[in-house]
Amino acid sequence: MSAMKPETRAFVYGISGVPVLLFVAMLACYGRGTGEALGLLADRSGILLTGAPGFRGFGGGFSANVLMSVAAIVVSVATGALLCIGTIANMRLIRLISLGVVNLLRNTPWLIALYAMLYLLPFYVPVFGTVIPFSPFVKAVVGLSLPVTANVAEVLRGGVDAIPSGQWETARALGYRKGQILRYVVIPQAVPLIIPNMMTVFATLFIGSSLAVVTGTSDVLSVANTITASDGSQYATAVQLYVLLLFFLFAFPIATLARRLERQIREKS
Amino acid sequence: MTLDLSWLADPLYQTWLLRGIGMTVSMCICAIALMFVIGIMGAALIYFRLPMLETITTIVVELLRNTPPLVQLFVLYFTLSELGLSVRNLATGQQIPVFSGFTCMVLSLALYNGAIAVEIIRSGLHAVPYATVEAALSLGYSRPRIFWHIQLPIALRLSTVPMTNNIVSLIKTSSQAAFVAVADVMYYATQITLENFRNLEVMLTVWVIYLLLASVASTICGRIGHALRIPGYGV
Repeated sequence: MSAMKPETRAFVYGISGVPVLLFVAMLACYGRGTGEALGLLADRSGILLTGAPGFRGFGGGFSANVLMSVAAIVVSVATGALLCIGTIANMRLIRLISLGVVNLLRNTPWLIALYAMLYLLPFYVPVFGTVIPFSPFVKAVVGLSLPVTANVAEVLRGGVDAIPSGQWETARALGYRKGQILRYVVIPQAVPLIIPNMMTVFATLFIGSSLAVVTGTSDVLSVANTITASDGSQYATAVQLYVLLLFFLFAFPIATLARRLERQIREKS
Repeated sequence: MTLDLSWLADPLYQTWLLRGIGMTVSMCICAIALMFVIGIMGAALIYFRLPMLETITTIVVELLRNTPPLVQLFVLYFTLSELGLSVRNLATGQQIPVFSGFTCMVLSLALYNGAIAVEIIRSGLHAVPYATVEAALSLGYSRPRIFWHIQLPIALRLSTVPMTNNIVSLIKTSSQAAFVAVADVMYYATQITLENFRNLEVMLTVWVIYLLLASVASTICGRIGHALRIPGYGV
């Protein structure tokens, strides 16, 4: 075991140990009834994973969480990049406003952002005669993107700050403009530094997507609650343990990969 | 769109919000204290590479760090309420469940952020120069005493910045308490919206309250971190 890289070992431990741990927790909880509980979980896997029995469609359950996270990643990377450019702008006013927005969003609990979006956003927006509906899914994506935008902006700014100021000065001496320096000198060097931190943010976002249950989408937790309500509350623990395992299996590899990239960067410098 | 904040003048709603803030603050303080205990114990177990215990701690830490705190809370709540432990109040003779929503919430917060604290303290321990350990060994300190008197204080002082982030994250996560019927700010906010239907205004007020709580916490932690910094050592 000692020959392995530290995060490979942690990965092997985690990916094999956590299912065992959760199984032991289930055994401790149900004793002889564990078999029944497992059978129920196998029956309900389809609805928990895809929102419909028999693995049809991707509109609900765990796949809805994944879709929601991906959409929120796209939105928050775009807005986060804008916000980051704002924090390093030349104009003092823009800088101050952007920093204020970053701090405001960073200190916002995710749950509050989701609730606020639930009530702040209208149910539909008429644009040139066509009505664009804001489904709970869209509201959840917007609500999740808000705090993540600030995290993305922070990560991007951290990457830009990590580039030594000599690079800026040299490029300026060669006659580059600020935009050009960013595009040709700073960003190519900052991207490898940014990627691991960005992946950590995405893993956090993915974990946070569990909170979307408050917006009324058919995400994995609301499906889990429905199952608990229909099949009896004695299986609540089993269903929740299953959801825990789903989230873990998805978020853990991302987090491990991020840690590995981070170590590689540290060893290079 | 106009915001109607006249309900804030109602003394009943004011007491509700204040009571909720008090609940949130006391919950956070309990959870932060427990978080440090868990973080230090976990970091020590991993750092000293105790056989078996190290593996189990690593697995538990990875589980807690990579799963939603909300689901962890539900698991704790359902499992612990199943156990049905209760204590007898000696004064009134009532049976009080040991694992109330409050206990579950404190435990859940302390476990989730404690797992992050384990990693923070562990990397702090690795940042302690080994020469200090050798110096202590030559002075005749035993290994546990070196850990407690030398390595741990330095590690904690080196990791005040990530610990501040962790504490702010704990305060933000504490808004989930309303899910298990703990009467915190969110719970009373929901209560108020049920009475006056001013959903948006109430949520914005709660947003401001949480912003203030988080800012106060990060200011206090920043002060503590500044007072505890090791002069001339990196940070």
